Amino acid sequence: MSTSQSTTSSTVRSRSAPAARRRRNRGARHGGWGFAFFAPFLVVFVVGVAAPLGYAAYLSLFQDRLIGGTVFVGLENYRRALGDELFRAGLWRVLLFLLVQVPVMLGLALLAALAVDSGRLRRPGLFRIGVFVPYAVPAVVASLMWGYLYGDRFGLAGQIGDFFGTRLPDLLGPDWMLASIGNVVTWQYTGYNMLILYAALRTVPTELYEAAALDGAGEFRKAWSIKLPAVRPALVLATVFSIIGTFQLFNEPNVMQSLAPNVVSTSYTPNMYAYNLAFNGQQFNYSAAVAVVLGGVTAVIAYAVQLRSMRKGQGA
Amino acid sequence: MSPAPSRRRRLAALVPAAALLLGLTACGSDGSASPAVTDPAAALDTPTTLTFWTWAPNIDKTVALFEQKYPKIKVEVVNAGQSATEYTKMQTAIKAGSGGPDVAQVEYFALPEFALSKRLVDLKQYGAAGLESKFTPSAWSQVALNGGVWAVPQDTGPMAMFYNKKVFDELGLQPPTTWAEFEEAAVKIKASDPNRFITSIDPGDAGGLDSFVWQAGGRPFQQKDATNVAVDLQDPGSKKVADLWSSLLQRKLVDAAPGWTNEWWQSMDSGRYAMWLIGAWAPGNIASTIPNTAKDWRVAPMPQWSKGDKVSAENGGSAVAVPTSSKHQAAAAAFAIWLNSDPEAVRSLNENGLFPATTGLLTDPGFLDEPLEALGGQQANRIFADSSATVGTGWQYLPYQVYANSVFKDTVGQSANSGDLNAGLSAWQKRIADYGNQQGFKVTTP
Amino acid sequence: MRTPTTRRRPRRGRASNALTLAMALMLGYALLPLVWLFMAATKDTASLMDSFGLWFGHGFHLFGNIGDVLSYDDGIYLRWFGNTLLYAVVGAGGAAFIATAAGYGLAKYRFRGRTALAATVLGAIAIPGTALAVPTYLLFSKAGIVDTPWAVLLPSLVSPFGVYLMRVYAAEAVPDSMLEAARIDGAGELRTFFTVSLRLLAPGFVTVLLFALVATWNNYFLPLIVLSDPKWFPLTVGLNQWNSLATGAAGSGATTTDFYPLVVTGSLLAIVPLVVAFLFLQRYWQSGLSAGSVKE
Repeated sequence: MSTSQSTTSSTVRSRSAPAARRRRNRGARHGGWGFAFFAPFLVVFVVGVAAPLGYAAYLSLFQDRLIGGTVFVGLENYRRALGDELFRAGLWRVLLFLLVQVPVMLGLALLAALAVDSGRLRRPGLFRIGVFVPYAVPAVVASLMWGYLYGDRFGLAGQIGDFFGTRLPDLLGPDWMLASIGNVVTWQYTGYNMLILYAALRTVPTELYEAAALDGAGEFRKAWSIKLPAVRPALVLATVFSIIGTFQLFNEPNVMQSLAPNVVSTSYTPNMYAYNLAFNGQQFNYSAAVAVVLGGVTAVIAYAVQLRSMRKGQGA
Repeated sequence: MSPAPSRRRRLAALVPAAALLLGLTACGSDGSASPAVTDPAAALDTPTTLTFWTWAPNIDKTVALFEQKYPKIKVEVVNAGQSATEYTKMQTAIKAGSGGPDVAQVEYFALPEFALSKRLVDLKQYGAAGLESKFTPSAWSQVALNGGVWAVPQDTGPMAMFYNKKVFDELGLQPPTTWAEFEEAAVKIKASDPNRFITSIDPGDAGGLDSFVWQAGGRPFQQKDATNVAVDLQDPGSKKVADLWSSLLQRKLVDAAPGWTNEWWQSMDSGRYAMWLIGAWAPGNIASTIPNTAKDWRVAPMPQWSKGDKVSAENGGSAVAVPTSSKHQAAAAAFAIWLNSDPEAVRSLNENGLFPATTGLLTDPGFLDEPLEALGGQQANRIFADSSATVGTGWQYLPYQVYANSVFKDTVGQSANSGDLNAGLSAWQKRIADYGNQQGFKVTTP
Repeated sequence: MRTPTTRRRPRRGRASNALTLAMALMLGYALLPLVWLFMAATKDTASLMDSFGLWFGHGFHLFGNIGDVLSYDDGIYLRWFGNTLLYAVVGAGGAAFIATAAGYGLAKYRFRGRTALAATVLGAIAIPGTALAVPTYLLFSKAGIVDTPWAVLLPSLVSPFGVYLMRVYAAEAVPDSMLEAARIDGAGELRTFFTVSLRLLAPGFVTVLLFALVATWNNYFLPLIVLSDPKWFPLTVGLNQWNSLATGAAGSGATTTDFYPLVVTGSLLAIVPLVVAFLFLQRYWQSGLSAGSVKE
């Protein structure tokens, strides 16, 4: 036994130099495996995203007119997009939306996550699933529901107004529309973000809390000095996704458009604009250019936010 | 519209059409000799499956009658989406070269767009020109464009005034016969209850405003030839309409609200809206959506701009067309023609909720005298038929009306907030002209 | 070593009434619209029009409405339900599996172009889906798969977010030492993945699966474009079609069927399976969700 053991160990030791070399070789072979694991995704990615995206980029270099057919126009569509007032107005609108709605939503989500994680709630499971449910509601249904809730005559808003003997402001009017859309988005995604943040909180080791408790830290201090740093990366992730989602805002305003066509125009958000150009105006080429510009703007802003918050995180 | 040339055309085309309509299945044997079937009668005797895109509910019942009569043809009815959704799919399918229908429902306003870009088969070659006498002049004028016949009219929407008789009786009002009386009634209704309106105007519905302009004699869209288009949304008719409704909106005598929402139907149901100016296809919608109060509603002719006039307009309505991408064009054309002109088919379409486009049914006493249950037993078809016979002539749509309608809400719709529809119409006109010029048309505006 | 699967014992502090009340308000906010939906599903058209939205109307029509939904047009709803199930199970299942493999490959192996690929994947999230709809349609049409389930399934297999999540998760959950040990034992890379790694990755997998499930269940835009034939519709597109029929047939073809209750009740039925799936799978995803947040 002991002999065989020592033999084995000696063989291992004696083989160690070539083994290292071989491991490097094997590393290359394993690298191939890494690519193999990635390959299925690459295939569906190419079919489902890259090819259509490339095609869109190609289309954006042409102009197809009802009279005169298709002509190559180079970057003309991009030039037009950059000077397009409707497109710009939509961009400013979503930017404003981003600055107000995203912090509110993430703040609510964070508070909810902290509450659910605090261990001081009755039936936390109920709240977890309940707040999340709106995420599972399809847009068609959302339109019906909010049509009722915002309705200033027969809807809930109207009935609350009647109850107090007054008239609430028209939530579907020009002054309130962006806020009303913000409310729908907040309603739909707070639970989703809460779950991401909550999951991050779950990874904080119990010992940290125990240590804090020994130090006599209150709930508030625990939340501030232990929990917040712990969810920071998750918060950055949620912020980046919210930014991307905001720039692609489409469903909610589209739903509201059927309730207030005089307020929500076809270019209300850049994504709606791209959609309407293609689907009502047959301007596929220009629409593709608008979408590419929008994707570019989104990527730059999302990347900048990520970079900034990462640097800040390191500094702290 | 111009009877002399079309009569000649009609006579020339009558022969194949008659043969088709009589269902000469006996001729099938010699028709099958040619491999590419171009003769409709022969095509109907060749086993074929046709795909029919339509969103008309219950149309499968009429299609079943066709399949009984021509058992070799199988028609697959597909609801590929409504209106703009269907057109987009059709445009993309045609662009892609596959996946499109053989036969498709197309609303009148969208027809020029498809016809102009040569995406529809000219049905004249299948004898459709001979059908002219079967259809109302207004329906026919909307499918016969630029010397071709691009579709067969299926249903129409001659306008009428639907009003809540209970509300009118309560206030001792008579249904207005002129727009001046309409305005007076609007004032009285509002005075009776600040929450009540004579009616609403839909800021998202270009078709609704188009119909008012049409009735007022406005002809804002004129296509002169393949590339020249004239747009004047401030012509006297358009201006008259915009002035009236702007004034009503500013005085809050009408409600600017999108139609068809839950809230809107509740307003109809509760008597908050006393009136609905809409096409003759509406009774079915009233009966099925507000069953409790449908019996309170009655129909009267449209208010007139000058007392004693009888001018109406169309609101909505569809035709059935054959896209050039179809591989069974002859059979598809034969089907489209039978579906919308055979007396049995036309009756069946009407029974399933479509308001007729054929003069045969519109003058049929059985149709005219039918009491409509939805409207408290009123023989409303008489009023609708009168309206159909007095539709103003010469209306045209743009060769890109689908786009124009989609930006209506951005321009006229937004102006409903301030109540200045003329400003909205000017903005709309600008968008229409810009788009047209970008698309290679020559758009002239005053 | 801290892995994402670290579970704390739930700390049971004193239950706080104030906190519970505050969260109850939030729950009310989340559920209020759904109360309307449920109430509406118990009504006939007349009640929908003239009764208070957040309470029952005249009579209880829920079961009648469900019957109508299931029987309308020879039970097309069930067909749509089945399609949705197919798209969700195959699409979301496939997406989760493909993303898991890809994330694992990125995290546990070094190969050329790895960083570039990872960046591309993340960048792809920023592209608006609507922009890709028409090019996708045109390309798929050339491939002849428009109006078939493939046109819906293929794009839904792509989950860049899933890859991102699984990459972070795999980096933590599967120790390198364990892979080395498996190699020394002579196990092939594939076998290691299926027998050892996949088990460790399960919580992350379930998380990605659930997000993909919701995404495919609610997928509306793409199926709307690439499908024409209602027999391949998922529920979202089908319900929307009913809704357009309820809200007027665009001035043509008067509605003679009563679509409002169908839309409302059909919508309610469409949400139920997702809620059940979440309740059923929640003990898995709780731990898996943390994946995106452990990277520091």
